[in-house]
Amino acid sequence: MADDPELTGLVKRAAWRWRVVLLVAVAVVTLVSLYFIARFTRDAAVVYADPEEHFKYGSLGGERESGIPYWIWKVLPKVFPEYLPGKKYEPGKEYASLGFLYEGDKDLPVGVSRRNTQGIDRVFVNCAACHAGSVREAPGKTRVIYAGMPSNTVDLEGFQKFIFACAGDPRFTADRLLPEIEAIGGDYDPINTFLMRFYAIPFMRERLLMLKDRFRFIEWEPDQGPGRTDTFNPAKTLISYPLEKLETREIVGLCDLPSVWLQGPRRDRNMQLHWDGNQPKMEERNKNASFGTGAFPPTIDLKQLQRIEDWLTSKEPPKYPFQKNEELVAKGKPLYEQHCASCHGLNGRDFSGAHVGKVTPIEDIKTDRHRLDSFTYELASTLNTIYTGYPWRFRHFHKTFGYANSPLDGVWLRAPYLHNGSVPTLRDLLNPASQRPKVFYRGYDVFDQEKLGFVSEEAKFTGDGRSIAEPNDPHHYFKFETEEKPGGSTPRDCNEGNSNAGHEGNAYGTELSDAQKEAIVEYLKTF
Amino acid sequence: MPNDNKTPLSKRWRWFLIAASVVAALLIGGGIFTWNKFFREEPQVFATPEAQFKYGSLGAEGDRGIPYFLWLVLPRVFPDLLPGPGGYKSFGLVWEQGEELPVGFSKKVVGFARVTNNCAICHTATYRLREDELPHTVVAAPAHSNNLQEMLRFLFKAAHDPRFNSDTIMNEIRLVSGNQYGNGGLTFIDRQIYRYLLIPLTRRALLEQEKTFTWMERYVGDKKPKPPWGPGRDDAMNLTKYFMTSMKEDNTVGPTDFPSIWNLGIRSGKDKAGKQMLLNWTGDTPAVRSVLIDSALGLGAPPRPWFLQRMADLDAYLSNLPPPAWPFTEHPINAPLADEGKKIYLRDCASCHEPRGEYTNKVIPLKEIDTDPERTYSWSKAAAEEANRRVKEMGIDRPPMTELDPYGYLSPPLDGIWLRAPYLHNGSVPTLRDLLNPPEQRPVTFHRGYDVFDPVKVGFKEPEPRPTGPNGELKDRFFLHDTRVQAEGNKGHLWGTKLSDDDKNKLLEYLKTL
Repeated sequence: MADDPELTGLVKRAAWRWRVVLLVAVAVVTLVSLYFIARFTRDAAVVYADPEEHFKYGSLGGERESGIPYWIWKVLPKVFPEYLPGKKYEPGKEYASLGFLYEGDKDLPVGVSRRNTQGIDRVFVNCAACHAGSVREAPGKTRVIYAGMPSNTVDLEGFQKFIFACAGDPRFTADRLLPEIEAIGGDYDPINTFLMRFYAIPFMRERLLMLKDRFRFIEWEPDQGPGRTDTFNPAKTLISYPLEKLETREIVGLCDLPSVWLQGPRRDRNMQLHWDGNQPKMEERNKNASFGTGAFPPTIDLKQLQRIEDWLTSKEPPKYPFQKNEELVAKGKPLYEQHCASCHGLNGRDFSGAHVGKVTPIEDIKTDRHRLDSFTYELASTLNTIYTGYPWRFRHFHKTFGYANSPLDGVWLRAPYLHNGSVPTLRDLLNPASQRPKVFYRGYDVFDQEKLGFVSEEAKFTGDGRSIAEPNDPHHYFKFETEEKPGGSTPRDCNEGNSNAGHEGNAYGTELSDAQKEAIVEYLKTF
Repeated sequence: MPNDNKTPLSKRWRWFLIAASVVAALLIGGGIFTWNKFFREEPQVFATPEAQFKYGSLGAEGDRGIPYFLWLVLPRVFPDLLPGPGGYKSFGLVWEQGEELPVGFSKKVVGFARVTNNCAICHTATYRLREDELPHTVVAAPAHSNNLQEMLRFLFKAAHDPRFNSDTIMNEIRLVSGNQYGNGGLTFIDRQIYRYLLIPLTRRALLEQEKTFTWMERYVGDKKPKPPWGPGRDDAMNLTKYFMTSMKEDNTVGPTDFPSIWNLGIRSGKDKAGKQMLLNWTGDTPAVRSVLIDSALGLGAPPRPWFLQRMADLDAYLSNLPPPAWPFTEHPINAPLADEGKKIYLRDCASCHEPRGEYTNKVIPLKEIDTDPERTYSWSKAAAEEANRRVKEMGIDRPPMTELDPYGYLSPPLDGIWLRAPYLHNGSVPTLRDLLNPPEQRPVTFHRGYDVFDPVKVGFKEPEPRPTGPNGELKDRFFLHDTRVQAEGNKGHLWGTKLSDDDKNKLLEYLKTL
C-alpha cells in the first residue's frame, strides 16, 4: 500500500493542503492580533504645529486616563440639557452656557483637547480652559479671544457639577446614550460600540460617581463662579486626605485664575509662584497645574508640556486695544513708580523691584486669608513626594504666611482682582475696601474702559444675572457677594473666602486723590 | 560501522551540551536577576553627618524594610485609618520641606527601594513661636510630637484590612509611578515583583510583627486597654524586654519620654569622683554605645560589622553635638537675672544635674525623688541578664546593661533643657515653670504634641481646640495627657518647689541658658 504512487500523491497533496490552511490561519490570527494590538495601544494626540493653537486645543496627556469619549462629550448636553445652566441643547456649541468659548466652526471649545487612545477618540480639558479669556469692546461687538489671559467666563465647577449630575442620572446608560450618539452622527464601529456598551460607559459612570464623592468639598465652600477655581483642595482629595477631618479654616481654597504669559522673566527671577507664593519652580508649578488637565505621572505628555512651557516663557500679553489718554498716562507713570513698582515691577515688562515675586505677610496685606490657609504644611510635605522616582520629583512646595506680589504684565486683562477675584476693577482696587463694590457680577466679557475690568456693576444686570444692555443674551451671570453671612454652619453658608478687604492704606495707594488714582489706572493700560 | 555508532553519541553529547548551556545561562541569568532585584545594595550618600542622622539607614532593610512605593501609598489607600489629614505627617512626624521622607526615615535600595527608621524618628524635634511660622528642626532633640505607637497601629490595622491587596495597592502605585507612556517610573517587571511578592510578603510580615506588639495594647488578665504612649514617648524598657528576652507579658506600663541625645560626651564614662555614670531613665545602662546599639537593634538592624562601625560613627557624632542655644531673640535671656539664678542652681540643683556631679547620671532612689514609680517596674535584673546574654550571642561586644533591679530614676544633665519638654521621665509636667510648682499645683491634664513654644513658662503651649470639618465642630488635635492614669502621674521631684516666686523666675532664667 505504501508503494501505491497514487495514494502517496494523495497523502502528499492532503498534507500540502493542510499546510496551506495552517499557514493562512496563522497569518490571519497574526494579522488580527496585530490589528488589535495596534488599535488598543493606539495613542495619537491631535497635535497642532502652532504652539498657540496647541495651547488652546492640544493635549497634555490627560485624555489617556481621564478622557471623556468624544461622542459622549457631544451627546451629554443633548440627553441632559436640564443640568446645564442654559437648560438648552445647542448643537455645535454644547457647553457655551458654562462659559466655554467656541471659535469659528470648531467642534470643541477652547481648552478642550482630543486624543485617540485605545481606538477611541477622547477629550478632556487642557491649560486653556483656565487660561484663555474673551473680551468685547461693547455689547453686540465681536468677541476677541486671548490665549494666556485668565479665563473670565468658564465655570469649571459648573462643568464638574454638570458631568457629575449626568453620571448620577439613571438615564446614563449605554441603551440610552448609544442611539442618541448615532442620531448626532456618532460613527462607532462594532468593536467600539461593544466597548462603549460593556466597558466605557459603565466605567465612566462609576469613575465619575467616585470623583463626585471625592469632590464633595465643593459643597462646603461658596460657589466658584466663572474664572475661579480651588487649587489645592483637589490635591488633598486626590491624595486621599480624610476630608471630614480637615480644619474648617482650610476648606475654602477659592482663587481667581491667573494669566500665564511671560513666564520666563518670572522663572529667571525665582519668583514665588501661586497666589501664596508656595512654589518657586516654574516646572513644578506647571506639572502641578497639569493635574487639573488629568495629566498624572504615568499619563502626562511631557513633550507637549515642554512645547507649551517654552511658548509661555516669552509669550507677551496683548497690547491694550482701546483708547488711552497719553497725558494721563504720563502723569500716572511716576505715581505708579512711587507707590506700586517696588512690589509689582517697574512696568509691564521690566519686573525689577525689591519685593516683586516675594511674599507679603498676611498681617501686612490683610486680604482674605482662606486661600492661604487652605495650603498647609502637611500638604506641602505630601506634594513633595509627587513624581517620586522620576528626576523631576517636586521638592520646592513650601508653606508661606502671606500672598505673593505679582508682576502686572497685561493687568488690564486680569480682572477681577486680588487672589480671590473679589474686586471687579483696578479703579475699585485703589479705593479703600469699604468703598469697593459689595456685590457685582462675574463672567460678562464686555470691557469697562474707564475702571479697567469687565462691566460688572449690579445696576447693569437684572436680579437673576441677565445683562440689561443685551436682553437677547440668555446667559445668567454670576452674582458675587463679598460679605460674610454670619450664623451659617458651613463656610458655604457663611460665604467665607470672598472678602474684598486688604491691599489697602497708604502703602497700597488707596489714600491717593481721585485724580492720582485715575492717572495710575490710565498708566496701567500700557502694561 | 564505528562511525555509525559514533555519530549518534556525539549528537547526544551535543544535545547534552546545549541543554547544559541553556540551564547554566538560565541559572546565571536568574542569579543576576535575583541579585539585582532583591539584594543589590546602593550606598546612600549624604552631604553632612546631620543629614545622615536624619535620613541615613541603620541597615535594618532585611528585617523591617517596607517597599518604598507600598509605604508611599498606604496613607492614600487607608486615609480613614489615619488620625487626620497629611498622610504620615498626621502622626506628628517631623517632615522638612522639600524632603521625600519624614525625618527618621531612610530610603535605601537593597534590590528595591526600602524604607526603614533610624534614631532620628525619636530624636529630632521642631519648635516655633507662633502658628504662622515655619517650624525649626533640631536634631537629637526629643521628638515630642511624634506618635510612634499610632503609626505602628496604623500599619497593623492596614495589614488586617481587606483593602491591603495587590489590586487595590497596585492601582494606587500605578497612579504614582506607572510607566505606560514612556515617562519612566516602575517597569513592568518591578510592578510584577510588587504585585506578586512585595505586597503579600509585607502584609504577612506586618501581621507577624503585630504579634510581637500585643503587650502594648492590653493588660494580661482583664484584657482592658493599656494607656497609650501618646506623642513623644514609647515604652522603652518593655520594648527592650519583649524584643531581647523571652519573658512573659506582664502588666507593667513604662511610659518613657524621649530624651535628647546631643552632647552624649558629658554623659559618658566616669564622674569627677571616678564613679561610673549611667544612662536611660532608670539607669539601666552604663555606656552610651550600649544604648545606641540596643536602640538600633530594636529598630531591626542586624549586627553586621558595617552596623558596629555606624554605631561608632553615631557615637562620635552625638558625643560632640552641642545642645541648641536659646533661640528666641524676641524673648532674650535677662542676663543679670540669669546670673542670680545660677547661684540658686549651684546651691540647689548642681549636685544632681551638673555634668559629672556627685549625683549626676546616677539613680536617685524612688523614696527620695518620689516621681511616678511605674516605669521602674517595667525593667528588672532578670530582664537585664537575659538581654545581655542575647546580645552577646549575636556576637556584639558591648558593655552589659546594669544587672540590678531599678530602684529609682536617673538625674540627667540639663543641657538644652528648654527643648526637652514635657518634663520628668514620663513627660507628665508640661513646662519647667510647672515643674517648679508643688505637684498639686501642676496641670492635671494637658496636651502633648503641639510644637508652639511658650518662652515664658519654658515648654510647649497648650493648644486650643480647632473648628474641624465642614460644620466647624471644635476638636482637639492633640493627645490629652491625664496625670491620673496609671504611670502618668506628675508627683515627686520637689526640689525647687519651695523657692519664692522671685527665685523661681531667676532659676528659670538661668535654665534657659543651659
